[in-house]
Amino acid sequence: MNSKTKWQKPLRETGKVVFTLLVALLMGAIVMQLSGKNSIEAYRALFTSALGSRTAIANSLLAATPLIFTGLGAAIAFRAGIFNVGVEGSLYLGAFIAAWVGFTFITLPVVVVIPLAILAAALVGGIWCYIPGVLRARLAVDEIVTTIMLNYVAILFTSYLVNYPFKVPGVANAMSAPISESAKLARLAPPSQLNSGFILGFLAVIMITFIMHRTTLGFELRNVGDNPIFARWSGMPTAWVIEKVMFISGLLGGLAGAANVMGVNYRFMANFSPGYGFTGIAIALLARNSPIGVFFVALLFGILRGGSSTMELFTDVPRDLIRVLEATVIFFVSIEFTLGWLRRRHNGRLDQHPVRDNSGQHTAHPGSDGGSAE
Amino acid sequence: MAGVLSKQVNLLNIALEGLMLFGAMAGVMFGAWFSSPWVGLLAAMLFAGLLSLIFALFVVDWKANLIVAGLAVNILALGLTAYLLVVLFNARGAFSPSNLTSLPKVNVPIIDQIPILGDILSGHGVMVYLAWISVLLTSLLLYRTPLGLHIRAVGEHKDAAQTAGISVRRVQYVALLLGGILSGMAGAQLSIGDLALFSDNMTNGRGFIALAAVFFGAGNPWLTSLGCLLFGFFEALQYRLQITTGMPPQLLQMMPYLIVVIILVVLALQKRMQKRLA
Repeated sequence: MNSKTKWQKPLRETGKVVFTLLVALLMGAIVMQLSGKNSIEAYRALFTSALGSRTAIANSLLAATPLIFTGLGAAIAFRAGIFNVGVEGSLYLGAFIAAWVGFTFITLPVVVVIPLAILAAALVGGIWCYIPGVLRARLAVDEIVTTIMLNYVAILFTSYLVNYPFKVPGVANAMSAPISESAKLARLAPPSQLNSGFILGFLAVIMITFIMHRTTLGFELRNVGDNPIFARWSGMPTAWVIEKVMFISGLLGGLAGAANVMGVNYRFMANFSPGYGFTGIAIALLARNSPIGVFFVALLFGILRGGSSTMELFTDVPRDLIRVLEATVIFFVSIEFTLGWLRRRHNGRLDQHPVRDNSGQHTAHPGSDGGSAE
Repeated sequence: MAGVLSKQVNLLNIALEGLMLFGAMAGVMFGAWFSSPWVGLLAAMLFAGLLSLIFALFVVDWKANLIVAGLAVNILALGLTAYLLVVLFNARGAFSPSNLTSLPKVNVPIIDQIPILGDILSGHGVMVYLAWISVLLTSLLLYRTPLGLHIRAVGEHKDAAQTAGISVRRVQYVALLLGGILSGMAGAQLSIGDLALFSDNMTNGRGFIALAAVFFGAGNPWLTSLGCLLFGFFEALQYRLQITTGMPPQLLQMMPYLIVVIILVVLALQKRMQKRLA
């Protein structure tokens, strides 16, 4: 492969991402103008408060941290053809467990308690997504509906935990006790709250890249994602691959929760996530499930998120506008998101057998050519 | 019923949730501007219908991925309703206009005289009756009209339907549009059916529960409404238990969602058993 073709694809993909984001910003501007707001002012406030100073940049990186984890979690599942919406649930459970470790084992030294809390969060988050993974792999229960349902279960259950068994006397809000000093992640650039959770996120990007491209599991999951029937016929343990992928996906959600508790809030708060898991889905889609792509798209979304509260403060444009931008992005991704797997899965049974045309030759699967033949 | 329609054209419509939320918002918004819940209901149907047409444009004409586009509709609804709430009414979180009453209650003439039956069947909001009428109409539409036949044909085998001269595109559009209008009505029931209030994310997963009910009913309107009744029963039970037993509300609120998962698992096990027997 010469260097020209090697660079063409990433460049083209980056171009698409930039274009999509520009369209989204334009949509946001239209919405603002229609509702009588000054969109140029709003965007200026957004970007200066997100990138204007060293602290501002640090804060944007901070806002991107949970999104890196949830984006990776979504991406690895999507790559294997599983539409896991349950990262949000893992995030809640992981966050709670990390907080629990942090406020229970207060005498442990830093070198023990931090790995312990992170491992516990990863494990619990992983198991939480493993459940719908098993259901999908062994019983063909639709994982989209189950993971959405289990999200509500996780959010309500953790809210129950801090409202009843772990209620702190005298505190009106539903939150756990604070974690010990030794369980807090180190700050990287005070006064910003940016912490070593971001580094953990960066390491996760490298790990997932490695898993996806340099391990047997990665090879298997890409095959299962591209063509589950081929994967099964060539002897891959399809069900087991799906379960492992779901575990990793949930594990990343759990890490996102741990990073939030140990790096930002220092305690578990009920309903704390503004939809990190769902934004993760948007990020994974926009990044075409590439871990490195996820990293950069998460940074972009971090900028939008980081700047949105200041925008609301100074230009009275509600920060919910960011959601509209996200939705626009997803809409546009959905049009060209024509990878075979989702089509195969919902467009009927035809594709389960190789199609023979009259000349007796095998033709391509109807689902795998992006639907242009339909 | 909206779910049934989309299921019957074999389009898994996860946008229901967002369409409902949009309908709920439009219901309160226009209801407040015109001081009439009826205008609100109409607006809810109109706007959810419009949004579903946009959704159909993406999914049917531009071959957008169904699930991804559905997700986009949901996030759009979540963001845009919260945005508009702040911009138009300067209310964050929840909004209850003072000049808006909820839709009237209906006392069914003869039945409300019958002791127990009267209590159960009479005196509900208009939407409750409209919901049952919509079950009837949907089932008539699907099984007694040419359009219904076409809808089912497209769902069963798209290419065959196309070959038989049915416009797949038109049928999918119609089904999604009707589904959108029905979702709008569902949203209106939430916002102006009983309370005349809109709050952020007030649908809270009901669109997805409806989807689960569709799975439960395998696309059949009557079976699906049975599933909905079941879920409705558990929700009502949860409120009752909360008051009478003092059980933690969060645990009770979890029930409907857990039950959806359990039902899906049971259905899958059943399917597997049948396969093994066959």
